Amino acid sequence: MTLRRITTVEDLHAYLHIAMQLEHATIPPYLTALYSMHPTTNADAYRVIRVVAVEEMLHLTLAANLLNAVGGTPDLTAEGFVPTYPAHLPDGETDFEVGTRAFSRDTIETFLKIERPALAEGDGRFVARERSSRALLPGVDAHEDDLHFYSIGEFYAEVGEGLQRLYDEMGDDLFCGDPARQVGAAYYYSGGGAIVEVTDGASAAAAMRVISEQGEGLGGTIYDEEGELAHYYRFQQLLLGRYYQPGDQGGTPTGPPFEVDWEAVYPVKADAQLDDYREPGELRDAVFAYSATYGEFLTRLTEAFSGRPDLLLPAVGDMFRIKELASQIIRNPMPGAAGVNAAPVFRGLAPVEVS
Amino acid sequence: MPAQIDHAEAASIVYDALVVGSGVSGAIVARSLAERGLRVLVVEAGPGEELSVADYETYLTRFYGAAAKDNNAAYEVNPNAPMPRSPDVRRLQPGHPDSTGYLIQNGPYEMDSTYTRVLGGTTMHWEGKALRMLPEDFQMRSRFGQGRDWPIGYDDLEPYYRKAEFELGVSADVADQTFYGITFPPDYEFPMHGLPKSYLDQLVARDLDGTEIRLEDTTCTLSVRPTAQARNGVPNPAYDGGKGYVPVGAVSTHQVDEGGRCQGNINCVPLCPVQAKYNARKTLAASLQTGRVDILTQTIASRVHVGEDGQISHIDYQAYGSTTSPEHVTGSLRARMYVLAANPVENARLMLASGLPGSNGLVGRNLMDHAYLLTWALMPEIAGTMRGSQCTSGIEDLRAGEFRRRHAAMRVSIHNDGWAWPTGSPYTDLIALVDDANAYGAAVRRGLVDRISRQLMLSFMVELMPEPSNRITVDGRYIDALGNLRPVLSYSLPEYTMDGVAAARRVSRRIFQRLGAEDRTSYDPLDTGYVGHQGEGYIIRGGNHWAGTHIMGESSHDSVVDVHQRSWDHPNLYLVGPGSMPSIGTSNTTLTLAAMSFMTAEHIATELTTRPTVTIGG
Amino acid sequence: MADDNDVLAAFLTLSATLTGYSQFRLLGTGQAEPYLATTRGAVGDDVLDQLLTTSAAVHDKAADNEEALDRGLRAGILSDDKLGPVARNVIKMWFVGTWYQLPQEWRDAHATREPDVTHVVSPASYTEGLLWPTIGANPPGAKGQGYGTWASPPLIDVP
Ligand SMILES: Cc1cc2nc3c(=O)[nH]c(=O)nc-3n(C[C@H](O)[C@H](O)[C@H](O)COP(=O)(O)OP(=O)(O)OC[C@H]3O[C@@H](n4cnc5c(N)ncnc54)[C@H](O)[C@@H]3O)c2cc1C
Ligand code: SF4
Repeated sequence: MTLRRITTVEDLHAYLHIAMQLEHATIPPYLTALYSMHPTTNADAYRVIRVVAVEEMLHLTLAANLLNAVGGTPDLTAEGFVPTYPAHLPDGETDFEVGTRAFSRDTIETFLKIERPALAEGDGRFVARERSSRALLPGVDAHEDDLHFYSIGEFYAEVGEGLQRLYDEMGDDLFCGDPARQVGAAYYYSGGGAIVEVTDGASAAAAMRVISEQGEGLGGTIYDEEGELAHYYRFQQLLLGRYYQPGDQGGTPTGPPFEVDWEAVYPVKADAQLDDYREPGELRDAVFAYSATYGEFLTRLTEAFSGRPDLLLPAVGDMFRIKELASQIIRNPMPGAAGVNAAPVFRGLAPVEVS
Repeated sequence: MPAQIDHAEAASIVYDALVVGSGVSGAIVARSLAERGLRVLVVEAGPGEELSVADYETYLTRFYGAAAKDNNAAYEVNPNAPMPRSPDVRRLQPGHPDSTGYLIQNGPYEMDSTYTRVLGGTTMHWEGKALRMLPEDFQMRSRFGQGRDWPIGYDDLEPYYRKAEFELGVSADVADQTFYGITFPPDYEFPMHGLPKSYLDQLVARDLDGTEIRLEDTTCTLSVRPTAQARNGVPNPAYDGGKGYVPVGAVSTHQVDEGGRCQGNINCVPLCPVQAKYNARKTLAASLQTGRVDILTQTIASRVHVGEDGQISHIDYQAYGSTTSPEHVTGSLRARMYVLAANPVENARLMLASGLPGSNGLVGRNLMDHAYLLTWALMPEIAGTMRGSQCTSGIEDLRAGEFRRRHAAMRVSIHNDGWAWPTGSPYTDLIALVDDANAYGAAVRRGLVDRISRQLMLSFMVELMPEPSNRITVDGRYIDALGNLRPVLSYSLPEYTMDGVAAARRVSRRIFQRLGAEDRTSYDPLDTGYVGHQGEGYIIRGGNHWAGTHIMGESSHDSVVDVHQRSWDHPNLYLVGPGSMPSIGTSNTTLTLAAMSFMTAEHIATELTTRPTVTIGG
Repeated sequence: MADDNDVLAAFLTLSATLTGYSQFRLLGTGQAEPYLATTRGAVGDDVLDQLLTTSAAVHDKAADNEEALDRGLRAGILSDDKLGPVARNVIKMWFVGTWYQLPQEWRDAHATREPDVTHVVSPASYTEGLLWPTIGANPPGAKGQGYGTWASPPLIDVP
């Protein structure tokens, strides 16, 4: 898929849909790492990853608010919304794989790459190189050749600027969406970072700020305006075994140290696919049931983002159940593969066969 | 570390206020004073390494791993600053005080109420019901000829109740909480909407709402109402004139994302795993942000010294390095005002151990607690017991009315945690199924559902009037690891209360009959809490709502503190907390004591700011 | 039963019959190995071996006949002086993660081993107890089901 730079509302819709896809795409890898940890071990590491996963949910919701605000229609059940892992993200020079894998140093290194800080300003955000067919970020179209965003941060910078350009052109007409489709604090609440209802230029800018700064710490600082530590640095704490505290420079945290037990992990199958579970039996049933439950969860979110924000309350209940099901799968051995455990597959509802 | 300061440095400063105890009472006073520009030192007897989630999670893991999951299971045994634990309690032989637990139980009734001596105090494991008292509760003597009147009324406290509801983060809806004289200013909203009723509540309400019960000459019409709770729910955008409310999450010095909404962990006592429930660490953390509060943990106020002028001159402390060794250092701390917020038992203990029984000898007397009567039954259908917070609803209709001339009023909670408190369910149910019913396999699973998911437990919280003979004393024979005198408790349940208990049992029978629930209540005469009354026997449990011991009044002759919780005897000493309450009605005490703390802090600040300010010297 | 894997498999077969939960669900708790180790520690290799051998024989003999399995289990294990109390302990352990000290009678007759004290096997075994999902609840203090879920009927898991 390629995109052009944002010049029309339709372009913006397309970008925001991708933004949702992107925010969601990080969740299965984060959850798999999280669930692969032995229960009641690694409290610090668990918490760090969990916070980020929860904030990705916040970003997903903010992206939905933005899309709704400009008259778009969020759809998490659309074909291809859930990527097939491993998926690829651009990394400047070479793509790197993002998969659903056990908690490990390598996995955290990958998470760091996902959340890498943005570097460039303006056109410098695009880099020219070969595209992978599994790339999560779109290419940028046409006259600018085969260009890519250097990072998610750059992608959002383009969304932000596009929004601004259109707002300059259209004024408040840009925000033609039904305010009843906005998710507000009543139904979305988490300890870190606030939900923003998007109804005008200022709230759109605020929402964009949360999404882009919380992730990558735009502009080289490690904390954002609200004093939230950027995800990149949150993950980095795991490799460095020490918390950041306000005033720290990136790379040299000075907060309290903590231990990470890289061994207290179930060796789950990397990038498990439904095809890996051919053998009939309870495990296969559980993996398929899991995938279906995950799909129902995405359906519920789609409804919630379509004027039923109250459905986010039961959706939180779904998340707890999803975790239970995933944990059961993860603790079962992978048949025929010694030393490998099963892993859940995040596919969504089984695709309907069309004849 | 909350301690940005060491003991030597603290001892060299004359603070505006020295607060003893980091529970909700002390934390609110500290925060309010600091926000008014005053410099405060808080000393806390118990441990609390840092205000962090990791510290908090140590408690949680200890709780998971504890075979006996009692009230204080999450907190380590600490001989240096011991606390009562309910399994400590043993059946008393007349004339033989029981000294096995921290509290010396002199009887005749042996109380199993507890409190917690750690940073944040008892709110670390309180349940979080946040109820206002009824206006008539403040006038027990003049309205019903029982107990005492407060020197203030509901209307005086009302603005402070609102502050307390903000500080504790109360979830409730005004429409549900407006009853029996409780009023709110027009347009008032609680910070967060009320928590939904549990499925069990709904089943009970379906049949019970509208049932009429007579207590003496009063007809009470029952309804199941959601309970106001200090746990995070859905923020109310209309709060504070439309400004809304931002829930307070987990306390932490580095960033975490916890303290979200209540998830229904059903574990508010002894510890909420996600810090959805208020605990005083939230207030302490906010107080630290002012930069004017210092906290010293593992620091016991051991003696209060009075100067020639009757003013407190200083307080001695003992600071220990480890909970496993009695080694400690000592010193003295000074301030312009002294605030004892160590809870009713410990405030009284500290005063008495310092040789300060009060000029009228009332320190330690008039100890109160709610008497709890538990009754339990099996619902005719699956009710989904064991989900939600411990209680989401209750019955408020037996709290008010003329019957209070004759016997105690009562408040009923519907327990989502089933029979856990009276019978030890679900563990005991599992054991009975496997060991006695010889069930295995699917039969165990079906049996568990049948026995547990239908459980209904009602707790009746029965009020108790202040009696001078119910009291805390000290006795040189009983000391703790650091040589501090331990509290000795003498306690009996007055007739007025026991008549209320008997009425409560009758009411519970009626309720179960109305619900078609199988009454399974039984009181074992060998239980420590067994009390006979007019030919019937009941088990009474402690309510954990310690109050009295330094009650407030209008005159120095019959009370220990004035309306500002200031000691009549020592003008620079305040005894704050539930100990000051002259009566407790049928409300759990904390919201009221929080309101009183705000009121007192305002007064202390006025006193201090109309005089010269901070002196720092060696 | 020399091979560790065989022992674990035999333990799981017996456990599935005793708890009414499938091996997938038992493994899904992550507690199979710790529970086997706890049982072994508390009763010793010989009793464990005897329990699992008897169980294997009972299961083999019953083939897929449930009634025969039930009779065999009651006759061979549950009413056996030595094996019955151990089997009942295994059930309780799966449901609440606690090893309960064996009855004094058993200890006098068979073995008094130090690990045979009432204890929670580990913090994780508490949170992974099967009692909670059975009644559609969560272990108090862990795995909360989410805000407001308590307002709906429970999702009960009974066969
Ligand atoms: C199981 C349980 C459930 C409860 N549920 C509810 C409820 O639902 N609703 C409600 O309203 N109330 C409830 N309560 C009561 C409520 O918790 C208390 O009323 C409240 O926490 C008292 O606060 P406090 O600050 O006065 O005292 P505490 O919280 O007890 O704080 C006193 C502090 O002082 C410290 N201290 C003691 N002695 C010394 C010393 N010598 N030197 C230094 N520090 C000292 C202690 O360590 C402690 O930290 C419950 C209590 C329990 C035990
Ligand atoms: S029910 Fe649970 S999540 Fe809610 S306040 Fe209580 S312990 Fe915390």
